[in-house]
Parts: sequence; structure tokens; C-alpha cells
Amino acid sequence: MTIALDGVAASAATPSVLLSGITKRYGSVVACDGVDLALHPGRIHGVLGENGAGKSTLMKILIGLIQPDEGSIAVNGDAVRIGDPVAASNLGIAMVHQHYSLVEPLTVWENVVLGERARLNREQACTRVAALSDRYGLGVDPLARVSDLTAGQRQRVEIIKCLRREPRIIVFDEPTSVLTPAESEHLFSVLRVVVVDEGRTVALVSHKLDEILHATDEITIMRGGRVVGRSRTSEATASGLAQAVVGRPVSLRSEAAALGLIETVAATISDDDASDAVPRAAAAEAAPVVLEVRNATVLDVDGHALLDDFSITVRAGEIVGLAGVEGNGQRALADMLSSLADLRSGEVLVDGAVVDLGRPGALRRAGIGIIPEDRHDSGCVLDLSVAENLVLTDLHAVSGRGLLDRRAIDRRAAELMLAFEIQARSSAAPMRSLSGGNQQRVVLARELSARPKVLIAAQPTRGLDVGAIEYMSARLRAAAESGVGILLISTELEEVLTLSHRICVIHAGRIVGEMTHHDADLERLGLLIGGVAA
Amino acid sequence: MRSPGSWGLTLSTAAPLLVVAAGTIVAAKAGLSNIGQEGQLLLGCAAAAFIGTRADVPAPLVITLSFLGAMVLSGLWAGLAALMKFTRKVPEVMSTLLLGFVAAQITTFGLTKKWLLLATKNTSRVNNGQQLPDRAKMPTFTLFGNQVSWGVIIALVVTVVISFVLGRTTIGFRLRMLGLNARTARRAGVSAAVVGGGALIASGAAAGLAGGLWMTGGSAGDRFTSNVSSNIGWQGLLVALLARDRASLAIPMAFVFAALRTGSSFLAATGVDRRITDVVQAMLVLALLVPPAIAAVQRRRRGTEGAS
Repeated sequence: MTIALDGVAASAATPSVLLSGITKRYGSVVACDGVDLALHPGRIHGVLGENGAGKSTLMKILIGLIQPDEGSIAVNGDAVRIGDPVAASNLGIAMVHQHYSLVEPLTVWENVVLGERARLNREQACTRVAALSDRYGLGVDPLARVSDLTAGQRQRVEIIKCLRREPRIIVFDEPTSVLTPAESEHLFSVLRVVVVDEGRTVALVSHKLDEILHATDEITIMRGGRVVGRSRTSEATASGLAQAVVGRPVSLRSEAAALGLIETVAATISDDDASDAVPRAAAAEAAPVVLEVRNATVLDVDGHALLDDFSITVRAGEIVGLAGVEGNGQRALADMLSSLADLRSGEVLVDGAVVDLGRPGALRRAGIGIIPEDRHDSGCVLDLSVAENLVLTDLHAVSGRGLLDRRAIDRRAAELMLAFEIQARSSAAPMRSLSGGNQQRVVLARELSARPKVLIAAQPTRGLDVGAIEYMSARLRAAAESGVGILLISTELEEVLTLSHRICVIHAGRIVGEMTHHDADLERLGLLIGGVAA
Repeated sequence: MRSPGSWGLTLSTAAPLLVVAAGTIVAAKAGLSNIGQEGQLLLGCAAAAFIGTRADVPAPLVITLSFLGAMVLSGLWAGLAALMKFTRKVPEVMSTLLLGFVAAQITTFGLTKKWLLLATKNTSRVNNGQQLPDRAKMPTFTLFGNQVSWGVIIALVVTVVISFVLGRTTIGFRLRMLGLNARTARRAGVSAAVVGGGALIASGAAAGLAGGLWMTGGSAGDRFTSNVSSNIGWQGLLVALLARDRASLAIPMAFVFAALRTGSSFLAATGVDRRITDVVQAMLVLALLVPPAIAAVQRRRRGTEGAS
């Protein structure tokens, strides 16, 4: 690729890790195709790429979770074979995973020593944790219970778990996905200490351009299982990296959002009035309210409030973005609006009429369409065919006298597959055989074809590639244009900023702030998301 | 010809097995595990015997009434499990199984009371049911020299109807949706209590009908006893298991199990221990179930490794 830079590898002394020619195949899919990667002590190495580019596979090979089909690994110049994570740990390689593995009812120090074979010594363990916490400025209380901690604090516990073994090489896999902007900043300053003061090696795996540009020293870009570019961070530009990641020039704002170019997105907000991307915000203010949630409280099984006196309104033709860090009640809200969670108190009005939530499917009948956060959980039935999935909420249209009309189902499927560009072998193919993007299109096609008054889109682009994200964004905009009220629930601030006319922030199950697209202020948004009243 | 012939006997035994299996499939497609067929079938036998010995009406009517009674009683019995499941979240695996033992106790109690099931005329044997009159027995037809019970036709019709309802009707679609993804189904307006409860009741009613077929078919003897069900319910469950919840596969499976069952007496006559057939049956179950289970585990392993 154009920004390849051989000097990086050649200039330094022996790299602490050298991966050469790593190839891993799954059937006909090549997850990693002859990947070379050198990590050097005292540097943060960013591994950048979209979902499915092969980053995670490569890192799993490095820590011994996956065995490569071809290629070799050298640690500090010696060829090694890493058969399992224990072998990796013995070589001084550790990883902080994207999904935390903490036992919630236990305290921090208990989690840290979990799995150790030596005798438990509470005093010693607590001192250890406190010392590590001080050394890196992590501010973790060893006696705190993990269930009481925020996502950012939990990550710091994971970091302590990892650093306790004094690893020389640390891999961070998508570390900021559940962090607020401020917490991300803090994480990167900790990484700086680990690298600069202690000479450790850090690999930072991410799909977000901004943080790679911001926090790393050198960058390897992956696409489709191959390395397509290497660069020193100081010499890289956002647009150049974006082009390398996507494989073509990037101009659309939705793409910028997909790549996490928050500054790019923010910069466009100010000169937005002439833009067609965020239209008719003023007109929307006069439009009728199509969805109103009033003082909704939803409890979990233990009686904790997931939604706490939560209220929100959505007008026809308006996109309302609900921003917030994951786990602040977004899932409960989407479940509640899918008739999957019971309201303790409060009510939901669609088009001004109160909906009886107790009945299965009541909200769908009232005109609420939903793209759930986890489409496998409540969006589709993987073992039914694509055609069946396209009609499963609306059987009346394709049946007569209780009998299914196969021809009507196939006809409907053919129309929707064409209109929504769904790629599948045939409409009879099982839903399971489709890619994530196409499954998401099936859900979108079904929900939009029911002509909803309101569409709830919960993390609609999570796990999709850039092309699919672009498509989804365009469809949501078009739906709003046609008068559908859209509630966009997203943890990706960039996505919320790009698409919404109005932005609400959810924290601990409550709306803590609201602003229009034009007044959007990144700093204030960041504070609100972090739960600091502003 | 007095003897039904071995094929006739096998086919007549296959009928209740098939009906039990078809009912099990209905529950399984809705994501529910009814494993109380043995008890439900026993209650079906009891109801059929009670009505068959008391209803003083012409032959076709008395059989129809016995079958209806058997289906209602067993359906209600399974309905108890459904009630507990959908009001109190009691797992149906536990409740259907345990209700089976209760059913056995109830029928044993019935055999101590003349106004229930105990023979009214004095017989030498204790705990014996009243002998079924001829008009309460299932008629037979002759097929290639074998006497075959009409129950076989009933079982085939029931299986075809169930298969059609599951595959081609909206209620069947909703039932399958519930079984495959209950949360998606709920959002689409499927009530788990109505559809799932209905499926459980239907599977109980099928076991009851199978009891009626078994009781009136002749192979079970001419009267109700406490062990009249003799594992027909369990074997019907196995048939459904081996057919992997496909009604079309349940038909040959039921036949194979019936052949093993009826063949065991022939084997015994040749000097082979009749328990050998139980061993063969168990081997058959293992041979058919273990490979797919291993394949499923392998697929899951590959699946988790592949997801990166």
C-alpha cells in the first residue's frame, strides 16, 4: 500500500514480538492472509481495521487462543510456539479483552487473585492491588465490589489483573467500546506510562481511527485479512488511514462516523444548515408526537431500576438519538418497546393513545417497528427461512382462513429482497446462512414494510461493515423523510451526532440531558454521558 | 383367521406409538418437553376402559366416546403442567414427568373401587379392571391375510393432520416461531401461554388418544390393569426423539419400535432372552442419537473458534 514504511521495522532493535507470514483459514474464509507484524518495546502499536478485517484473529493467535495454519512467531528474537494462553503468559504476553471476565459479586482483590494457586492472603493481595493502582493512577479500591463499579472502573480492574503478572507485551482489544470519552482519555494516559516509563510493548486493536491517531506510535492497517498499510502515527493522516481501511476514498459523513472520526463529524455540525443530511429539524418541531414514553420505570429481577422515571417523545419525521454508555438502560427501553419487559409504572403512548403493554405484540400492532440491539435475540428466527423471517410479524397478509399462502410469502420475499438489496441464495435459504449485514437488512425490510409510525433502531449498525452502515444510515434518513418518527439508540456518539435531529442522553436509566443537533456541544455531551450533570 | 398375524400385530402396536410421538412433536416444536406421556397414556387407557365398560350405546359410538374421554382427561392432565408452567414458571420437564407418577397412583386407586375401574363381577384376580365388552373393541380389517386394527388408519391420519397444521397453517407457524425464538415470537404477538399451553395440552391429548387406541386395540389385553400402558408412552417418546421431531420420520420409526416389541415374544419362543430386544432397542437409540450429538458439539466448537 502507498503508506507502507519499511523504516519502522528496520530502524529498531530486536522487536519484542515478530509475527511473520501468519495465515489462518476457516473453510474457504481466510481470516488472516500472510500477515507480518512487529511490535517494539516502548511503543504503542495500533492495529486498525474494520470489523472482520482479521485483527482479533491475529491477536488471538498471539495469545495462543487460536493456532495459525502457517507462519511463525518470534518473541524477543527467539522462535516460539504459543499453544495456549498459559504459554503466552509464560512468555510475558497478556491481553485485556473487549468483554470483561469479572465475577460481579466478588470484590476487586478477589477478582484479581482468582485462579491463583498460591494460598490466599487478603492483606498482601490488597496491598498489591493498591500499589498497582497508585503506580498507574488507576484509582481502584481493592475492597470495592465489582457489581458496584462502572464500565471504566471494571476495565481498570482488568488492567490490574493483567499488569499484576508484569507482562512485557500487552494487547488491548477494542478497549474503548464501553468507555466515555473522558475514560478513554484516562486509559490512554495509563498506556503512556506503561510504555514510556516501563518500556513495555503495547498493541492497541481498534476500529476507531481517532483513537489510533491519538494514542499510538505506529500503525498497521488490516483489511480483508491482509496488512494493507504501515505507518508512523506522526506521519499518518486521518483521510489517508480511512482510505486504507475502507479501500477507497472516504467522503460521506456516515462513513466518517463509522470509522469513529468524531472530530470530522463534529466539525461538520457547525456548517450544517445548508446540508441535506440533517433536514427539516425546524419543521419537525411542529409535527405531531408519534411516540411518548411517560415516566417509565422498569425493574430487573432483583428489583434494581433499569429505567427510572424515564420519559422521551419522538415526533413524526424526526430522528431522536439516544446517546449513552452501554448498560444504562438502553436494552430495557428497547425490550419494553418490544413488549418484552414489563413496566413497573408509567405508560407508553403511540399517536396519543395509551398502549396496553401486557399483551404480546401490542406495541407492534400500535405501529412501533423495532430493529433490536441483538437481532438474534428478538429480531429474527435463525432456523426459519429468509422469506418466513420477512413475514413473521404480519402473517395476516400472507394467509387466508388460517392457512399459509406459500406463494404470497414468496412473492412478498422477492419484492422485499429486491427493494432492500438483500443478498441470499434464495428466499428459502435459512436466515442463519446470511451475513450479519444481510440479516440486518431482513429485519429492516420487515419492520419498514409494516409502515410503522415509529421505528426504534437499537445499535442498528453494530458489527456491520462500512458499506452496510452507510446503507442503514441512508435508510433511516429516508424513513424519517417519509414521516416515520425514529428513535435511534446508540452507544456510538458519532452515529448519534451524524443522524439525529435531537439528541437525548441516557444515564442510569434516566434522561439526563437533551439538545438539538444544532446546539450539540461535544464537551457537554461527553460530561452528560459520563453521568456528570451539566 | 383368529390370529391377527405378526404383521397385523406389529402395525396395530405401531399405531399408539405413532400417536404418542406425533403429540410429542407438537410440544417439541413449541419448545416444550413433554416427557409425561406414560402417565398421560395410562390415564387415556383408564378413561377409555371406564367409558367402554359403562356406556351402553352402539359400537361405533362407544369407541368414539372412549377416545374423546381419553383425550379430554389426558389433555387436562397435561394442562395442569401447562398451568404450572405459565403461571408459576414450573419447568414442564419436571411437572409432566412427576404428574405421570401421580397418574399411576390415581389409576391404582381407581382399581380398588367398583364405581371406578374395579371389575364389578367377582373375579379370582385382584386389582383387575372390568372386562371390555366386544362393542368397545376396535374393529379390524384384513390386509394380506393379517388382521390390522383400524387404529393404524387413525394414527396415520392424526400424524398427517399434525404435520399439515405445523407446516402449513398460521397457528403452526406461530407455534414453531415460539419454539425457535420465544422473544421474537412474543414481539410478533405470539402468546406463550396460549400457544405453548395449547401445544402441551394437544400433546397430552394425543397421548390420551394413544391410550384409547392401545386399550381398545386388543394387544393390551381385554381389561384395564395398573400396568396396562407397559412403556408404550416411553417408547412413543423415543420414537419422537429418534425421528428428530419430524412427523414423516416418526412413521417408519414407530413401525421399527413396534416390530422390536412384537418380535420379542417370538424371540423368547426361540430361547433367546426377551430382554435382548430391550438391549437392541437401546443400541438403536444410541446409534441414532450419538452421531448427531457429536456432530452438533463439533459444529459448536468450530462456531466459537470461527467467531472472531
